[in-house]
Amino acid sequence: MTIRTLRDHGQHYRPRMACLNKAEALVVEMQDQKNGVKASEQKLNVTTIPHVMSGQDILAWIANHMKVDTQEAQVIGTMLVAYGYIYPLQDHKKLVLKPDGSLYRFQTPYFWPKQKWKPEDTDYAIYLAKRNIRKKGALDVYEQEEYNKLHKWMNHKWDFIVMQAKEQYKAGKERKKADRVVLDCQERAYWIVNRPPPRTHSALDYGIDRLIDPNADEVKKKTLDYYRRIIIFTQQAIMRSRVKSSVSLGAIVKYVTTFKNHDPFLAPCLPSNPWQTDDDTYWELNMRNVEVPTKMRVERWSFSFFELLSDPRGRADFKVFLKKEFSGENLAFWEAAEEMKWGTAASMSEKAENIFKTFLAPGAPRWINIDGRTMGLTVKGLEHPHRYVLDAAQTHIFMLMKKDTFYRYLKSPVYKDIQKKAISPAPHNFSDAQLEQNAKNRKPGIDPIIIWQQEEEEKAKAAAAAGPIDIKKLMQNKLDRK
Amino acid sequence: MNRWRRSVGEIQARRRQVGECERAQAALSKVTACFQQMATCLGSNTDGSTLREELEETRTLAHRICTGLHKRLLALLVETEQCQEDREQVERLWVLFLSSMESFQQDLKKVHALQELFPLTIRKDRRALVNTGVTAGGSEVAARAATVQTPWLTVEEEQCPALKTHMEQIDALLQEMLQRVNVPLWSVEPTHEAWGDGNEEALEDDETLEEMMEVEVVSQDNGTSGCCHHPNCRLGCILCLLN
Repeated sequence: MTIRTLRDHGQHYRPRMACLNKAEALVVEMQDQKNGVKASEQKLNVTTIPHVMSGQDILAWIANHMKVDTQEAQVIGTMLVAYGYIYPLQDHKKLVLKPDGSLYRFQTPYFWPKQKWKPEDTDYAIYLAKRNIRKKGALDVYEQEEYNKLHKWMNHKWDFIVMQAKEQYKAGKERKKADRVVLDCQERAYWIVNRPPPRTHSALDYGIDRLIDPNADEVKKKTLDYYRRIIIFTQQAIMRSRVKSSVSLGAIVKYVTTFKNHDPFLAPCLPSNPWQTDDDTYWELNMRNVEVPTKMRVERWSFSFFELLSDPRGRADFKVFLKKEFSGENLAFWEAAEEMKWGTAASMSEKAENIFKTFLAPGAPRWINIDGRTMGLTVKGLEHPHRYVLDAAQTHIFMLMKKDTFYRYLKSPVYKDIQKKAISPAPHNFSDAQLEQNAKNRKPGIDPIIIWQQEEEEKAKAAAAAGPIDIKKLMQNKLDRK
Repeated sequence: MNRWRRSVGEIQARRRQVGECERAQAALSKVTACFQQMATCLGSNTDGSTLREELEETRTLAHRICTGLHKRLLALLVETEQCQEDREQVERLWVLFLSSMESFQQDLKKVHALQELFPLTIRKDRRALVNTGVTAGGSEVAARAATVQTPWLTVEEEQCPALKTHMEQIDALLQEMLQRVNVPLWSVEPTHEAWGDGNEEALEDDETLEEMMEVEVVSQDNGTSGCCHHPNCRLGCILCLLN
């Protein structure tokens, strides 16, 4: 029924939202008679409604009060609108602060967003029922769907919801007409923020719920149990291995300097960031099995061996290089070990046998060269195979490839060739109208299942090709042609 | 005990009690709805000591109805007679009572927090009230709430507790309700339909209210941005010309 009855140890709490308190303080400052935002009256057909502001006035006030430039004031203003402290009167579904004469009003504190209270489905159902009662057919398509869903989930409460909606509607009718308009607008704005229409984002989206209630007190009583836990915690903290801060900071600096051009937050994504422009060329160009990779991707392969191996296209390229050098068994073993790590438990023993026969047995067709101690440990472990039995050997092989083959690869003609062939797409420059067009034309990408099937087919082909070539069959075909 | 053996008097008494509970539930709905409508004005420019007093009075009334209804429903449910038709109705009432208590509890918490956030009394701590555009106070709504009467004849003498105590009491009440009586919540069938309930009381009043909310778009003097992009602009333009 409600959270009250849930007694599992799952995550039910909203995270801390400290920004809301700060936004509240700002909104209260805006109310000041002398120093607040200039308010005017809104003329409707029959009445006038006070306390209406224009977007540019709000913007000017924020820029003045917080001593920031216009762009930042614009962002802050949009944040206030997105959270629901101020709502637009025109175009009420788009929660931005327009720096022109568009009208805005303050939201009543009852409808302010609070960390403690989640907007309940019951209240949403009452709101939708109220609107339906007031005028049949007033609900949008997405609202109708939600209404039907709520009717199904909260069937046992439905009488309560309808009764409450009717009573609230009748109570609202007692007021003056102008006030009714304002109150209806307020409630509508509240639900636009908390139940956003499809294809819009909600500023209150916080990801998943948290395990611990941030409003709960930290420690109620310092019992023996509490002290015991604190002692264990501190002992474990002492036993942890430490790294000098200069060393770890140096590592961070090195990482940032290498990767800073590849981070989509710090450098513009070529051709354009799909999350911002709704154009997925970037993803198309960087698919797993694309023929020609992008320059940024190829550059990334040279940063570290791990990057090369984690990128499927890079791994394929490396495989081509190794084939030329006739030393593909290392990579094959590494891949087999990965498959074992990530594979199903049922296939474990079968895989272990295959790996032993192919790579580890003395005189095996693709015998890998690891030191005696590791070999002994691995063979012994393979008697009772589990997921991580090849871990030591895999690490050894990884180090071998990294220290030796990787640098040869980087200097090889294969790599230089792919560097030359790599494309560098030009950045997109969309106008607003084109962006709207892009948003409308969004379509889903290729189903990952299809991609997986394609990969399986390729793997099967590669396995067939890598098997021992039957000379007789080959010669037979050639003879037949004559 | 054999059903046929029960006297007509007993059956009638029970039916009367159930009817009383139904009426009490309707009254509770009315009072909590009024309470919610008044609570939306807290912290706005219409907030004042009058509003807070009216909220207190409504809360007292709700408390009275709640306690009475709870007692009676509990008595009805715990009776050993398990006759079928009655049981479903009483369970339905129980679930409705539970839902309305939860919703009322939410409102109480919000009212409590808002009253702390916007203290009217102390000059120093007083925060400016938010200018929301509402001009009149909620007296009409409070008057509507005050017209609700408890449907039972006997007047119970019980003091209405302070807000905080009231909230804690309801918390305890809800816990107890969920644990004490074994009513499966999902087995209750509603009597209202999903989309059926319509405008028996529809007046022309309501049509213009919808239109008024849309007209806001084009109520400007310059009216450049409003008119053409809004889907209801046909309506707006006509009214604009009339203006």
